[in-house]
Amino acid sequence: MRLVIARCSVDYVGRLTAHLPSAPRLILVKRDGSVSVHADDRAYKPLNWMSPPCTLKEGDGVWTVINKAGEKLIITIEEVLHDTSHELGVDPGLVKDGVEAHLQELLADRLDALGAGWTLIRREYPTPIGPVDILCRDADGTTVAVEIKRRGEIDGVEQLTRYLELLNRDTLIAPVKGVFAAQEIKPQARVLAVDRGITCVTLDYNALRGTEDDKLKLF
Amino acid sequence: MKFRVERDVLADAVAWTARSLPARPAVPVLAGLLLEAADQRLTLSSFDYEVSARGGVEAEIDEPGRVLVSGRLLADISKSLPNRPVEVSTDGAKVTVVCGSARFTLPTLPVEDYPALPDMPTAAGSVEGDVFAAAVAQVAIAAGRDDTLPMLTGVRVEIEGDMVTLAATDRYRLAVRQFHWKPEADGLSSAVALVPAKTLNDTAKSLTQGDSVQIALSGDKIGEGMIGFEGAGRRTTTRLLEGEFPKYRALFPEQSETVATVETAPFVDAVKRVSLVAERNTPVRLSFSDGRLVLEAGSGDEAQASEAIDATLEGEEISIAFNPTFLLEGLSAIGSPVAQISFTTSTKPAVMTGKPDVEAEATDEYRYLIMPVRLSG
Repeated sequence: MRLVIARCSVDYVGRLTAHLPSAPRLILVKRDGSVSVHADDRAYKPLNWMSPPCTLKEGDGVWTVINKAGEKLIITIEEVLHDTSHELGVDPGLVKDGVEAHLQELLADRLDALGAGWTLIRREYPTPIGPVDILCRDADGTTVAVEIKRRGEIDGVEQLTRYLELLNRDTLIAPVKGVFAAQEIKPQARVLAVDRGITCVTLDYNALRGTEDDKLKLF
Repeated sequence: MKFRVERDVLADAVAWTARSLPARPAVPVLAGLLLEAADQRLTLSSFDYEVSARGGVEAEIDEPGRVLVSGRLLADISKSLPNRPVEVSTDGAKVTVVCGSARFTLPTLPVEDYPALPDMPTAAGSVEGDVFAAAVAQVAIAAGRDDTLPMLTGVRVEIEGDMVTLAATDRYRLAVRQFHWKPEADGLSSAVALVPAKTLNDTAKSLTQGDSVQIALSGDKIGEGMIGFEGAGRRTTTRLLEGEFPKYRALFPEQSETVATVETAPFVDAVKRVSLVAERNTPVRLSFSDGRLVLEAGSGDEAQASEAIDATLEGEEISIAFNPTFLLEGLSAIGSPVAQISFTTSTKPAVMTGKPDVEAEATDEYRYLIMPVRLSG
């Protein structure tokens, strides 16, 4: 990752043309070749950018970035104020949503939210295609695999279906039923889940973590 | 199959049956409406494995038969037909609907794949249609709409001899209604069921045409997990909800410190007016003193409103605040000219009941328990 702070003007020549007049800006040159020009505001959107694959040619006071379509980002540099490079390595990627992980922890502690008499086998129960969030037994002793999502969409149902298929091959725990638990379940996902014999449960995050509003209630 | 039927009769029957068609059918045939013509009668059915509906109308049958067509399409078509007799006939894999000079040709769905509708559970008893509809409407308003507590989205139906009790709660209010019915099945002395509130409400409203509604439950206890309703040639069954309904009877306070009597209509008008300035989730405050009820809403720098109306008070004076929507729904549900409200303290639930006039005794037929809102400061 190369960070350059420079007084520069920028011209974009491609499907449409754009011009940024001279001003101090941050230019990021990333390992994949992408170049983006940032002003000192907003969190995510550069003023101008070129996505990879593209090539950067550094000339005398003029940088030219060209992509495969022949579009050009021309940065005319008047003064370099800062220029450093840092080796960041490979990013581990976005880790599992904090709320989702917390929901898993809370639900494992309070399986009675799914049904009276349910007992935990383990969290993150391993399968050959990745761990299933919770494996437990219902009151009748039937094994249940629980997939937890913040927003329950079709993808989550597909994921649980794959886990169930593999888990049901294990004669020691089969038959394994599925529970799809989420704070909000999309109607499409619900239809698919019910059609596959998977039970849908809507989770109340605040109730699970005991931070319910202080409104007076009957019970 | 070939039959002829009056346009209004057809449109009405199709609209009623199509109500319970699934919005997202898991199997294509479930989007279908089953038409069966036999013995001068046209029977229409829909089913989505949760709710089934079956209605029959008189029709001139030229050729008996059964066919499955898209329910939504048939409902849209039949309600926009001109007011002339409608002739429906099959032609190979197509159904033709002719009315006046309008002609529609619809593809059929494979009728042999259509699931059999569940049988009506053993008939259990009957109640007048309008009594049933009114009772269900009074109770269903208090049912929860939040899927995180599925058992609260239902209405609990309890049968004890010739008495039926309906109850629903969303944790902020609880509505309980009792009515008499005529038990018909032997040995059905007590039964309980948890019926999805929305289905129950829709069903009760649509069965008021008949003199009486048959309610059918599987005997002994919850049994097959199904309840059926039948009246005026229409029949609906629905799957019951699972889960433990809260022990609601214990929620009613044993005694009250204060009993207020207010005429319902001026009370409703005043609440509506005053709550205009109540922002979302802010309460309307009620102060009861002898002969007078002062309603207030809004506070601080925001818009404020107040109004005073007549009220009779027995016991201690009290100031208490309620969610205006829950208060109005309760006042409307008691369905009486005079409302009686019993209080314990400003943080304990209040009981609303109705009575025909100020002097009369309040009845326990319908009770609406409402939780107050805590007042800050």
